[in-house]
Amino acid sequence: MDHPAVIQFRLSCVKVGMYAAQQISTVRWKLPSRQCFRREPLRLAKHGFGRHNCIKMETNQDSSALIEVVANKRDREAFGALFDHFAPRIKTFTIRRGASDAVAEDLAQEALLIVWRKAATFDPARASASAWIFTIARNLRIDQFRRDQRAASNTHLDMVEPDEPARPDQIIVGQDNDDHVRSALKRLPAEQLRVIQLSFFEGKAHGEIAQALNIPLGTVKSRLRLAFTRLRDLLDELK
Amino acid sequence: MTAWHHPTEPVLADLSAGNLDEGSALVVATHVALCAACREKVRSFENVGGVLLEGLQPTSLKSDARGTILEKLDLPGPPEDGAVREANPEGLPAPLANHDLGPWRWIGRGVYWRTVEIHEGDSRVFMLKAAPGTRLPHHRHQGREWTCVLQGAFRHDLGRYGAGDFDEADESVEHRPFIETGEPCICLVGMQGGIELQGWFGRLLQPLVRL
Repeated sequence: MDHPAVIQFRLSCVKVGMYAAQQISTVRWKLPSRQCFRREPLRLAKHGFGRHNCIKMETNQDSSALIEVVANKRDREAFGALFDHFAPRIKTFTIRRGASDAVAEDLAQEALLIVWRKAATFDPARASASAWIFTIARNLRIDQFRRDQRAASNTHLDMVEPDEPARPDQIIVGQDNDDHVRSALKRLPAEQLRVIQLSFFEGKAHGEIAQALNIPLGTVKSRLRLAFTRLRDLLDELK
Repeated sequence: MTAWHHPTEPVLADLSAGNLDEGSALVVATHVALCAACREKVRSFENVGGVLLEGLQPTSLKSDARGTILEKLDLPGPPEDGAVREANPEGLPAPLANHDLGPWRWIGRGVYWRTVEIHEGDSRVFMLKAAPGTRLPHHRHQGREWTCVLQGAFRHDLGRYGAGDFDEADESVEHRPFIETGEPCICLVGMQGGIELQGWFGRLLQPLVRL
């Protein structure tokens, strides 16, 4: 076990690092050369997608470290940093999925409470922080939807665990994956990225995607298939 | 167990994104529990979800949101939700073991079915058990039908489906599955719409089965 002072020092480093990363990403963001998916600017704007839908280069490693500090030290400051970063994004996610502002606010709070309570179960070797938190928000949204239908829920999608126990050299797998996913998403044609975003964030049925994009249903189906297959291929290539 | 027939990538992505209704999700999740390759895909789609979440523009919270949550941190949490039930004497895949199952009921020569309780959505889910060598009634689908084989195997026009395999049928499919010899075949079936049994035997069964 590390000396508390060492842990405290690491925590400070993490916080400084996270702040710096945010600043860097904000500054870089303003540069015109910043690569960004705006190949369909009019369409994106029309459907409420703007700059915020671009794939940002934010580091997630710091979030993983913060979750570990929360788990090991029950550190409220570290938790506050996670809250500030993720809760507003989970709120956006939930609103996109059709919830009211108030419901989305509650769900974001609830999701972060779970992060606090279950931080010890987070394993950075197995998942990135954002993937872990995404699955928490996703499950809460499913539960909440089922509560709305006045029904108890008992199909809970646990985060899918890899089969093999993590090896020491896989310790940063979660982070690697996030970088790979970002690179892969950047390489997708804009129209394929668009259907992926629609299906993740608006949960639209294929028919609704067809309407939103004004393309035939058959095209939606084949495009989704192409998009997800291409994404998987890119992820395999980048491994 | 190596499955040969898998859900398509968009179906696995829909599972990862939380887009499927409870019954459909259950059938896909059961296949995923039995298939390492699809577990890996779902995991990578969950990563995609995480990265896309990071990329969303934040929506501001109420001004006292941070204070509210900090006050709640020391409160005891709710009892574990969604925990896998302890008793699983039949050794069912984890997603299925969480559901209430009805008793096996005879519905025709060598064929039994039992209901799987679902609370939300428009899918009906049931388990089907058929004796080796059975030929199921000729049927046509009126909606989407997803099947995950849990034990044994069946064959139809599109190939052989053994334990762990996932079969997807829709309106365009009209088939007559044949249960392989050996052990009984047990499947988990999720259905949207219905099926139409063909022939005099099928029409006799239809009111019994009410599928």
